[in-house]
Amino acid sequence: MDFIIDGFFQAIRLIVSMDEETANIVLTTLKLTGLSMLGILVLGLPLGFALGYFDFPGKRFIQTLTETLLALPTVVVGLLVYAFISRRGPFGQYELLFTVRGMAIGQLLLGLPIVIAHTAAAIEGMDRRLRLTLLTLGASGSKLALTSLWEGRFQVLVASLTAYGRIIGEVGSAMMLGGNIKWHTRTITTAITLETGKGDFALGIALGVILIAISFALNISLSFLRRRAES
Amino acid sequence: MIDKVLYEMQNVKHRYGAGPVTLDIEALKINEGGVYGVIGPNGSGKSTLLKVLACLEPRCEGLLLYDGKDTAGNEIKIRKEATYLLQNPYLLKRSVYENIAYGLRLRQETSNMRDRIYASLRRVGLEPGKFAERPWFRLSGGEAQRVALAARLALYPRVLLLDEPTANVDESSAQLVKEAAVSAWKERGTTVIVATHDLVWLYEVSTDIINLYHGRIVGYGAENIVTGPWEARGEYAVRVLSDGQTIYGARGSESGIDAAVINPSDITLSRALQPRSPRVNALTGTVTQMTLERSTGHVLVSADVGGIVLKSRVPVSLVEKESLCPAAVAALVFSPDSVRWL
Repeated sequence: MDFIIDGFFQAIRLIVSMDEETANIVLTTLKLTGLSMLGILVLGLPLGFALGYFDFPGKRFIQTLTETLLALPTVVVGLLVYAFISRRGPFGQYELLFTVRGMAIGQLLLGLPIVIAHTAAAIEGMDRRLRLTLLTLGASGSKLALTSLWEGRFQVLVASLTAYGRIIGEVGSAMMLGGNIKWHTRTITTAITLETGKGDFALGIALGVILIAISFALNISLSFLRRRAES
Repeated sequence: MIDKVLYEMQNVKHRYGAGPVTLDIEALKINEGGVYGVIGPNGSGKSTLLKVLACLEPRCEGLLLYDGKDTAGNEIKIRKEATYLLQNPYLLKRSVYENIAYGLRLRQETSNMRDRIYASLRRVGLEPGKFAERPWFRLSGGEAQRVALAARLALYPRVLLLDEPTANVDESSAQLVKEAAVSAWKERGTTVIVATHDLVWLYEVSTDIINLYHGRIVGYGAENIVTGPWEARGEYAVRVLSDGQTIYGARGSESGIDAAVINPSDITLSRALQPRSPRVNALTGTVTQMTLERSTGHVLVSADVGGIVLKSRVPVSLVEKESLCPAAVAALVFSPDSVRWL
């Protein structure tokens, strides 16, 4: 029991002093998740809008498929992406394995279904009068899509934060695709896994506290946005 | 200006998805610069007609011309000129000012935007200093309706399509909405097409009235529609009213007898009660409303006859001669042959 309490106090010292290694791990995590979210939003928002707005053959199937992918195991994503970006894989020439960009591809596949499914649901659930109003005021094409997304901005933000929560907390694909290389691809979750294995609870707990703080901030934001969306 | 045909419809049919036909217009012309009323019972196709004219719903069959050109393929251009106000308007989740500015920005008409927005707000009775920066969720139903109308008026539309604009608002808001619509017509020559149950207002301001029933045009003006049950009796169909009076209608050889339409001009009115006869309908009713019909210059007299309202179109001189007034008991006389079947 003492080693947990000691570890906790050492963790506080680490957070307060923010030593170089801890700072690097936090920065790598933020860089990775930022890159992943950029890809997730650039691809997910238009695809989610299209899935929610248009009626086309196979729409129900795609919706079911997207919702199934919400529960995609992280290690399966890691395995698939590994196969594609390893030296023997079709994208081996780009040398993405054990890089932050390679890890971002895995996280993109994890977060994309969340943003697509939630955005589609938000667009589909929008007041049907919105479309008529925008059309009759003269909107069309991209302006129609952008205004619709803006009208559903609270729900879209909820979708984005949910996706961010998923990718910042995952360890499977980050470990497989990043290799947990110190000063390079070591993220909060992979570092906690390693340090716990080594018996260094202090760094593990310190990183765990930072991760929980980020998750807590996300949850507070989600609750606030849900209330705004419902008002 | 008034004679230029703006819309022309020929054999236009519309249905929602694979559903039944909701609109079946054989022929209709709408001139530029007029005020058109669209009336009919709920479900008669008023909203659908307005949405088709606003290019918000595609026609399924037939020809629809706008300004002499087929609307197909020109929807985006037409929507920039013909704007539609929903019965329950939707406001964008932004301030009143931004709601009105949205359409102007889309048209890149931003040079004197603030003036236009403020003028349109004043036009609907909203003080810009008080309302311009107000968010969408801090408006009452009547205020939201007026902001939505202001957003259309600011665009200086060529056509303003209003779908029951006064149905869900209080009396003062309704009056302001009506005044704003009429001012757009008077000041800018906007063609106003309005679906409403506010017949008194419509008879006063409209240049033409389109009467719809089950998606079809059954007349132009204040037609009387008498729904069933009609009973077949020999060569006549008979509608028994709640007070025991009966309306006789001559049965056609092929038509059904579900509902009948009677032109108000075919109904004569007098204070002297008429003897009943099988060859002529002579009904006794109580005058409930009298309205000057702008398009004809006649007076529309509505009378309660056995629980239904029948309208008679009479010259002003007859009103004076017969001393017609609300609550007066009068005889409504018309031939069974003037009853047409829908």
